[in-house]
Amino acid sequence: MTQIDTPAKPLDPLRHDTAFTVRLRRYREISGTILSNPTTVIGLFFIIALLCMAIFAPLLAPPNVPDPYQMPRDWGAVRSPPGTPGHPLGTTNQGGDVLYGVIWGSRTSLQLSLIVVSVTVVIGVCIGSLAGLVGGWLDEALMRVVDIFLSIPELIFALAVAAILGPSFTNIILSLCIVFWVKYARIMRAQIILIRQADYVQAARVIGDTRFNIFRRDILPNAITPIAVQATLDMGNIVLVGATLSFIGLSESGIAEWGVLVSEGQAGIASGRWWASTFPGLMIFIWALAFNLVGDGLRDALDPKTEDKR
Amino acid sequence: MMTMQNPMTEIATSKKAGDTLLSVRNLKKHFPIKDGVLQSTVGHVKAVDDVSFDIRRGETVGLVGESGCGKTTLSQCVAGLMEPTSGEVLFDTGRGGTLGPEDRIDRMSGKQKAKYRRNVQMVFQDNFASLNPRNLVVDIVGRPLRVHGEASGGLLTERVVELLEQVGLGRQHLYRYPHQFSGGQRQRISIARALALDPDLIVLDEPTSALDVSVQAQILNLLGDLQQQRHLAYLFVTHDLSVVRHMADRTVTMYLGRVVEHGPTETIFRDAQHPYTKALLAAKPDLDDDPDAPIATLEGTIPDPARPPKACRFHTRCPVATPDCGWEVDDIVRLLESDDTLFERLSGVSRKSELEAELAFETEEAACKLWEVLRSDRVPEAMREATEILDVKGSKLNVRFRDSDEIGLRALGSGHEAACVHAGRLS
Repeated sequence: MTQIDTPAKPLDPLRHDTAFTVRLRRYREISGTILSNPTTVIGLFFIIALLCMAIFAPLLAPPNVPDPYQMPRDWGAVRSPPGTPGHPLGTTNQGGDVLYGVIWGSRTSLQLSLIVVSVTVVIGVCIGSLAGLVGGWLDEALMRVVDIFLSIPELIFALAVAAILGPSFTNIILSLCIVFWVKYARIMRAQIILIRQADYVQAARVIGDTRFNIFRRDILPNAITPIAVQATLDMGNIVLVGATLSFIGLSESGIAEWGVLVSEGQAGIASGRWWASTFPGLMIFIWALAFNLVGDGLRDALDPKTEDKR
Repeated sequence: MMTMQNPMTEIATSKKAGDTLLSVRNLKKHFPIKDGVLQSTVGHVKAVDDVSFDIRRGETVGLVGESGCGKTTLSQCVAGLMEPTSGEVLFDTGRGGTLGPEDRIDRMSGKQKAKYRRNVQMVFQDNFASLNPRNLVVDIVGRPLRVHGEASGGLLTERVVELLEQVGLGRQHLYRYPHQFSGGQRQRISIARALALDPDLIVLDEPTSALDVSVQAQILNLLGDLQQQRHLAYLFVTHDLSVVRHMADRTVTMYLGRVVEHGPTETIFRDAQHPYTKALLAAKPDLDDDPDAPIATLEGTIPDPARPPKACRFHTRCPVATPDCGWEVDDIVRLLESDDTLFERLSGVSRKSELEAELAFETEEAACKLWEVLRSDRVPEAMREATEILDVKGSKLNVRFRDSDEIGLRALGSGHEAACVHAGRLS
């Protein structure tokens, strides 16, 4: 019997490993792998720039009163080209400052994508886990619902839902939440079915741990990687689909949203007033591209087949 | 200075070597085969079909058989990972007295169940898959202690270090991930986890099959040492007979979900009575063997466990089968399934019983062909002898076999039992 009231032996002087330093090193290793891919770094750079733009929007462009998400109107300088004093990127037909729209549009997009991704991930993970863990008729029923959702293209489905709910930006968010959870449910279910058979789950059962603890400690952490990758990709896709819906006119007009701005500006393209559509369009492009680059990089870096070999 | 009472002294009074620790009685595990749109059950895979055996305190029982014989299913039922279809698993949780219905692991009270959970642990074959890749060793090995509220914080870490030292690892391995270890080391971590709650029984499901031979020996020696120190019982599931000979006090041979022979390991290796056990022993390449001599192998493949052969399940592959070993219509069906030309022309089988049937063919020629095959040496002589009626009417072939009794385990003295008509008669 060892004496357990004596103080713990000093740690190995060569390696002062603790759970904390080891985990930290592991995260460094993983982030090192992620950052070793140059396209991921480019994507990450754009994401950080866009996030800064969204966070510091009030400093970059003084907020419109009373609602900063409404475009300010300068009726004295309608349809000014880029370079006009006070309007570096020009103005729209209604005298809206394009730069203001570009900057505050990043906030709108961030809100849209963050809300939709977090809501859909939670719904998808819950439904997928339920289907995968309970199985039987519940799994069968839930997966048929998922099949129905998946058989309709995302954009068309979101368009239909948003049209029923009526044109407003909030309803766009709502319709995207209704449409985008299915992929997560699918991925989660497949992961759970795979992982619940794993020997380490069986081992946890032999130890006598509770079902909830096994789910929390063994199944969920090992199932979540593909969800994280899909969520990153969707941060970009959702802004793209959201902007499309706004462009079609399912959002209120006059708000600082890139899709709305492209839509308002497109009438002037034929008359040579390219700026009102081009700059917000470019922002949508950069946003979607940046998240797709990072999402792809994450997928490669977190692939379980390569991950365990490090 | 001792601050904690040694748990061994208290328990030692109630636990005696040789007492039955675990008893498996008439255990059956059938998996339904589902088919069609409505997923209706069309049959059952009889993975484990009426198996009984005991494990005593401190002994090692070797469970051998080829892949698909049900040994892993059986071990999972013993470890409580699977609910048996019928039959019972009894475990001595220190209640006192002989094992009874109250000791069934599926009917235990909460307190007893917790004791069972602590006292039966398992080590898996795949040393990588059995450790959560995202957990540190300290969390993996300490988890049983945490789950059962034995230790936490610094005390937990110290207990984990003790356990690691017992399996030949140390403090420097506490904060590492499973992928940073070799296969043998990972299996040591699994063993340390299994030891954490000081169990009475460890189910070892092919613990060394995935390891290099030199590492295998190390792990086997470790298991042997731990058994001596801690008075452990092992259920050692393996297909490797040399491991069984080295480790097991008693050996149980399984074939197609049934126990065909069991007894003291020495007796089994010296005087195996069941032809299947003999075939397994003969198939084991030995260093002393003549290197040029062919290795004895079993003919044929293991039959479908959804419709196992009648009477002795081994009769389809047995070199010494007799007419009384359970020949039946399914033997002809199995023969046809291995012969494409005849099977294609078979249009239907109408059975009167498992012994009697009418096989309809598309052509008279095919029926005659089968008749010839059943009379030729392509079928075992015993099967020909067991055929009572065999005639062709048009394109139909009538066949009837002699009935035979179930062949149960026969006692052969000193705990040795074999399920074979020859048992005790064949040298």
